[in-house]
Amino acid sequence: QEEAQAIDQELFTEYKFSVDQLMELAGLSCATAIAKAYPPSSFTTSQPAVLVVCGPGNNGGDGLVCARHLKLFGYEPTVYYPKRPNKPLFEGLTTQCQKMDIPFLPEFPAEVRSSPGWGPRSRARGRFSAAAFPVQAALIDELYGLVVDAIFGFSFKGAVREPFGSILGTLERVTVPIASIDVPSGWDVEKGKVDGLQPDMLISLTAPKKAAMHFAGRYHFLGGRFVPAALEKKYALNLPPYPETECVLQLT
Amino acid sequence: QAFPLPSLPRKQPTVLVVCGPAQNGAIGLVCARHLRIFDYEPTIFYPKRSPDPLYRDFTTQCEKMDIPFLSYLPTEVMIPVAEGRAPHPPHLHHPRASSTSSEPPAALCPLASLPDLVLLSFFCHPGWDVEAGSSGGISPDVLVSLSAPKQCARRFLGRQHFVAGRFLPYDVQKKFELNPPEYPGTECVVALRAPR
Repeated sequence: QEEAQAIDQELFTEYKFSVDQLMELAGLSCATAIAKAYPPSSFTTSQPAVLVVCGPGNNGGDGLVCARHLKLFGYEPTVYYPKRPNKPLFEGLTTQCQKMDIPFLPEFPAEVRSSPGWGPRSRARGRFSAAAFPVQAALIDELYGLVVDAIFGFSFKGAVREPFGSILGTLERVTVPIASIDVPSGWDVEKGKVDGLQPDMLISLTAPKKAAMHFAGRYHFLGGRFVPAALEKKYALNLPPYPETECVLQLT
Repeated sequence: QAFPLPSLPRKQPTVLVVCGPAQNGAIGLVCARHLRIFDYEPTIFYPKRSPDPLYRDFTTQCEKMDIPFLSYLPTEVMIPVAEGRAPHPPHLHHPRASSTSSEPPAALCPLASLPDLVLLSFFCHPGWDVEAGSSGGISPDVLVSLSAPKQCARRFLGRQHFVAGRFLPYDVQKKFELNPPEYPGTECVVALRAPR
């Protein structure tokens, strides 16, 4: 984790990359990898509908960029972005998505039902009982052919704060494929999480994180083709070569 | 795409990137960096540097990626920069300056007469009027139109014409009636049909 953070720091302070530049390239990689593994024609939903769940930090920003490129690639993305940082970068990315007619859900997909655990008070607190998860998961399965997990990235540490705990609870029960950006959300960045999210796809950015060793899904892609050779050598990243001018490399 | 690595004549895939003072030049800097990542060996000539902090950062990124910046443009003999020999002292021949031309573009004219040199222009050829084009000036082999082709692109006679504008939102495309062609797959450029 520290190494990943050090590389990031060096890209910004020594190489003078802007966060915007690298986030754009990262998000584009994610959309490209998704397009390769799950082409629009492969969706069983009537439209190639994708739910992009964006967290409160840079991973969420990557998700916003990814959503925009998915739209350009012919998908129908929908974004859920409950905690938005007050920074021009994220406000700009949000506007770009909105101006491309990408809907932003006011709430996480949920059916309204009157039964214990579903009362208005528990919804207002943003907490759902465990009984709610299967219903929410079923609804997501019905509406979307793919979910992009852009909640937490390589800086994640400690406990998961709401509403993301509940969201992850639902995502763990979803049966449509989940594509995680950089690190499956909720996992320890180095050790993984045995009972956590099990995504079908992982798009590692810059270089795979230690947790990727525990990834058991079908598709592992490498993205973020911006690492200068000198940096790659310095941190002994030993990245395999990307094909031609592709911005992603399929590792498995 | 137009000049894949195996197709370049020299052993080392050297590319000279000539960058102007404004946004077009900055795009050249970004292009050079990506060419480096694609394993080409770019060298940059950037005589009039923009003070814009964003463009200064682009310059730093290139420098930190070991992309050399020429201090002057060799015009008499094209010495392969990759071989590490110092260029001869420059003999820049300036044609009698007209009121519309400025120094760096004049230095490019001798380049146009060199054999085996393929030129790729972004957006529009230096020395061309953006709308009318020109009968003089350089004749690039490949043109990459950014966002959408400009009027002068009608005069383009080179081998390949690409459009790079996949990032344009649909309402902008519609508003300006751009009618872009379909981009294949996840590609960010599309080759337009060769001009007749």
